[in-house]
This record gives sequence, C-alpha cells and structure tokens, in this order.
Amino acid sequence: MPVFNLCLKILKKNLPVMSIYFGVFIMVSFIMMSNASGSQTGYSDVKTDIAILADEESVLIDGLKTSLSDVANFIEIGDERSQIQDALYFRRVGYVLRIPSGFTEEFLAGGTPTLSKTVVPGSNSSMYIDMNIEQYLNTARLYANAMPEMPLDELTEAVLGNLSQDTKVSMLSSERIYGEQGMMQYYFNYLAYTFMFVLILGISVIMLVFNDLSIKRRNACSPISASKINFQFYLANMLFTFVSWIILVSVSLAFGHKELSSPNTWYFIFNSLLFALTASGIGFFIGNLVKGREAISAVANSFTLGTCFISGVFVPQVLLGEGVLRLASFFPTYWYVKANAQIAGITNHSWSNLNGVGNTFLVQLGFAAAFFVLAMVVGKRKQMAVEEE
Amino acid sequence: MVVKVNNLVKRYGDLLALDHLNLEVRSGEIFGLLGPNGSGKTTAINCILSLLKYDKGDISVFGKPMTPDAYDIKKDIGVVMQEVAVFNELTVYENIDYFCGLYVSDKAKRRALVDEAIDFVGLNDFRKFRPKKLSGGLLRRLNIACGIAHKPKLIILDEPTVAVDPQSRNKILEGIVDLNKLGATVIYTSHYMEEVEQICSRIMIIDKGKVIASGTKDELKSMITLGEKITLDVFNINEAQIEGLRQLRNITSVEYSGGILEIRSLKGKNNLERVLEYVKSEGISFGKIYSEMPTLNDVFLEITGKELRD
Repeated sequence: MPVFNLCLKILKKNLPVMSIYFGVFIMVSFIMMSNASGSQTGYSDVKTDIAILADEESVLIDGLKTSLSDVANFIEIGDERSQIQDALYFRRVGYVLRIPSGFTEEFLAGGTPTLSKTVVPGSNSSMYIDMNIEQYLNTARLYANAMPEMPLDELTEAVLGNLSQDTKVSMLSSERIYGEQGMMQYYFNYLAYTFMFVLILGISVIMLVFNDLSIKRRNACSPISASKINFQFYLANMLFTFVSWIILVSVSLAFGHKELSSPNTWYFIFNSLLFALTASGIGFFIGNLVKGREAISAVANSFTLGTCFISGVFVPQVLLGEGVLRLASFFPTYWYVKANAQIAGITNHSWSNLNGVGNTFLVQLGFAAAFFVLAMVVGKRKQMAVEEE
Repeated sequence: MVVKVNNLVKRYGDLLALDHLNLEVRSGEIFGLLGPNGSGKTTAINCILSLLKYDKGDISVFGKPMTPDAYDIKKDIGVVMQEVAVFNELTVYENIDYFCGLYVSDKAKRRALVDEAIDFVGLNDFRKFRPKKLSGGLLRRLNIACGIAHKPKLIILDEPTVAVDPQSRNKILEGIVDLNKLGATVIYTSHYMEEVEQICSRIMIIDKGKVIASGTKDELKSMITLGEKITLDVFNINEAQIEGLRQLRNITSVEYSGGILEIRSLKGKNNLERVLEYVKSEGISFGKIYSEMPTLNDVFLEITGKELRD
C-alpha cells in the first residue's frame, strides 16, 4: 500500500510540531490536576478549625459546642490577645468565639447577651459557623419563650434533637460540578483544542502534498485506480485520527483515573470519538481549500482557537454571552462542550436524561457528515478543473 | 504501433490547443515532439496519458484505446513530467521507491529496481538527500528515475531538461538513448532542437496545435530550400565586393558586421566552392571559415516564418 505508507511517512515528518501540542495538552492537564488537588472539587463536608474561649460553663454552652462539633474542629489556644492573634495569623484556627461570663443567665432571662468573635479576614467558613451558632441560639430562644418552665438540660436536649434532623435531598440532573467528574469534564473539554489542531494540521498537510497538481497527475498515470489511492489515503488518515484519539483520551483518563469506574466516563470517551470524526472532517475540508503549508498552520490555529474560545472550551459556556453562544452553535466544538456538560450532569441513566446527550451526539454526527461531504465536493470540483485544464 | 493518435482536437474555451493532431509512434524508436513553448506538446502528452479530457479524436496505446482507467496499459508506461513531481518529505531513495511501488508490489524486486534506477541516473551519492537539497540538474535526474524505475515499455518524457545545466543535460540525454537501447520506446518533447536532433530517430514539429512536418531529421531538412550557412572572419571588404557575393548563384543573403561575414545560400551543390573562388579572386583576406548545414530551427523558420524559441 504505497499511498498508505507515504501518508504515514509525511505524518512522521510533521510529528515534532504535533508533539508540541500533545505536550501542551499534557502540561495543562497536569496543571489542572494540581489545582484540583485542594478542596475545589464541588461539594463535600469540611470542618473549620475554631477555638471557643468560654468565661463560664453551662449546659447551654455545652449544647452549643455539641451542635458546632458537626461543622468545626475545636482547637485549644491560649487566652492572651497575642496568642489569639498568632493562632489566627498562622491559621491554626479560623474562628475564635468568646462567651462572656453570665451569658446563660442573661439569655434565659430573655436578654440579648453578646458573643464576640475574631475571624481570619475574608474567611467564608466563618459565616457558616455564624449561621450554626445563630440557628442553635434561635432554636433555644424559641423553646425558652414557648416553655419557660422547661429545665435547661431538657431544653438543650430538645434543641440538639431538633437540629440533628436532616432533610434528605435527592439531586436530579442539573448543571453542577461534583468532584472528579467535574475535572473529567474539564480534561475532555480542553481535549477539543489539542484534538482539533493536531487533526487539522496532520490531515491537511497530507492533503496539501497529494493535492499538488504535478503529484496528482503523476499518481493518475500509475496503474493504481483513483478509488484505491483514495482508500489508502483515507485509511491512513483514519488511523492517524484513531491513534491521536487514543493518546489524548488516555492522557485525560490517566489524569482523571479516579473516575474510570463511573459510567459517565464512557460517555465522555464516546463524545470525544464523535468529535475526533468531526475534527478529521474539518481537516479534510480545510486541506482541500488551503494552499501552502504556512496557510494551513495559520488556518488551523485561528480556526481552532476561535471556535474553542466561543464554544466554551476555555471559559465555561454559562459565562459566555447569548450572542456568542448562538454563533458558536454553528461550530461542532460548541456541541462537543455542551455534550460534556450534559454528561457531567447525568446522575441517573434514565432515558429522559440520556435523551438530551443523545441529541447532542446526533448534531455532532451531522457536523462530521457535513464536513466530509463538503470536503468531497470541493475535492471533486478541483479534480474536474484539473481534467479540463 | 505503440501510440496512435487520430484527429485529436482539444479546446480551452476559444483557444484551439490541438488542431486535428495525428501522430504515430513505432516500437523501439525515440520519437521527438518539437515545437516552441505553447505549441501544444504538453497538451498532446496529457491527452495521450488520459490526464486531460479532449473534444475529439481517438488515442490508442499498445493497440488498445487509452482511457483514464486503462490500468493494464498504464502499468507499461513510464512518465517524466515537465514539472518535477517528487515529495519533499521523502529522500531520493524513498521517492523512487514510492513511484516504483505504484507499479511493483514485490518488495525485493522493487529494491533491486530502485537501486538500478539510482545507479542509472547517477544519484548514488545522494540516496539519503531530500529533494530540496538537490541542484536543478540532480532534481531532474531524480524525476527521471521516478518515472523509469519500473522499467516501462513506453517512456514519455515531457521537456525533461528544462533549466538543467549542460553537464546534467548530457547525462540525461545519454540516459534516454541507453533506455531506448534497452528496448524502451521513447516519446521525447522539447523546444530545444539540438536535443531532438541529437537523440530522436523520428521527429514531429508542431506549432499552434498543428503538425507542421514530421520525419527523420534528414527528411525534415530536405523539405526546405535553404542550403548551408557560410561564415568567414574577414578583415577588410567593401560594399562592391559584398554586392558581388550576393550575385553568386544560390546565395540568398550576405551580411557583414564586426569582421564577420555571414552568407546564406539555397540548397545546391558547390556553394562553398563558389564563395571561396570569389573571395580569392577579389583578394579578400580571411581567417577562419565555417560551413553549417541547415538545422531544425531553419526548417521551422522556413515553414512558419518564426524562430523555434520565439
């Protein structure tokens, strides 16, 4: 298969340029993974380190501590001003609560004793502690007002019992990020950029070589039929597409290996395969239109970057304007990113949930078919022009 | 008959590129297609190879009609295009191997053929060079090697020596003669009459898509009335003596410039002798003397009224 082998040789010669993009993809994935290794993986329970400096002891205050123990770790610190400042500065604690002497008595008498707090500036978790303290005290106040005769230990027990009740929430499919699944979405979104560039560059460079008039005529003089030449040509390009897909998807899966067991991962993989087909179709189309290696590089760069920017590869689609998204919907990258978002939102694999993703898959298939047909029409027209010249 | 073309007509819009062209190439000959740039040589070759659609006429190769899908015919044809058709991404060896691979699938056989072709065009020292590193002459040789490596029965060379240095040109021409000696029939197009005259056994001159004349070089030269061109280094000659020369039998023109006297004559016997007798009788002292027989350019000039390279 001389044409097939030749295509592979040409690709091999262009490997250094493509390797740069593979390298950039791996590097960006690595950076994303490093950033994600903290607590930014969607919702999960975290406890704030707090210190309680109580100037009195009472059942009510013990109850408060018990209530806060679900959301806070209690750290022992000294009561000196400098010790408190040091603990906050070095982030040993994020919240210091001072309970003044006589707090319980004044509270039960219907007064509004003040609790003082010192927090790390700009701390979000301090608000959560505030809410929990307020919730405990408001509930206690409710019981005290409604049943003034109730003993303090019973009141505290009732408040804690009340606060311990949880409401079960079952999440339906919605746009949300949850843990590693969200990171997988990012990896696969970013994959669109590398994929499109590498495929457009690789395929159109081969097309450029074969579209050269003298080479075309020379091949036409040979005893190998045009259909055989085309078959070998498409076979080599499909192999290139498939190998690129395997490499890039493997990198994504390696970085998001914790989610390999999730069925959503398989949807991500399938979505990327559809995008690979579309990107190769674009490669064939551009390769038929563009003349010159420099032009190919420029077109591949501008088309890839442009569509990725407006389609939500780098910036989430929710942050993009309506007009931009409307424009982006004319490009397959938009539908690829949209499908990734839909896949990330699938929590149960019911038909109604999969229906939306399925439609997005079909749109991508439509794009792939359209680009292949366009490429063939342009190629045929050029061939006819050559035969008339 | 290896190639037979009957009444071939090719139009580009209003331009008639080939005007009822008839052509026959016999087995074992080197057939020269001579004509100025734009005369229709490449168009004729492209039609013969079925690379171009034509408006009218019949073309047969090896006795069978030539069509774009006549692959059994194409396997025995070697083509060297006017434009160098090689891959810049491949080395000299890889290029020849690719084009040979279009005809020969057996790897071992192909390796031997590629080595032979490299040897034949003298590119042994450049096997691993990429085309961009080769000079114009070496590139043309590579182009030829790509076209002949599979040892075709018919080799079509379309202006293979354009922009080639004299050394490479001689090497190429010698190679074509050698290929012919090995049994290949050759069609050679050029606008260099010296090349065609040097290697072709039969020549067809075309202009504006029409056949002007065809035959062996001697047959072509016999078609015209022009005789030899006599050139003398003359130190001193006056107008009366020049006029005297003009009056000699068969002499058509006499021009004197910069010490060079150029005399043109009609075909006929003893033209040189008569000129020398007159020069002696007039006491005109002269140095070197040359006598040239008419060239194909003269044939073209007499038939069309213009130079081959106009």
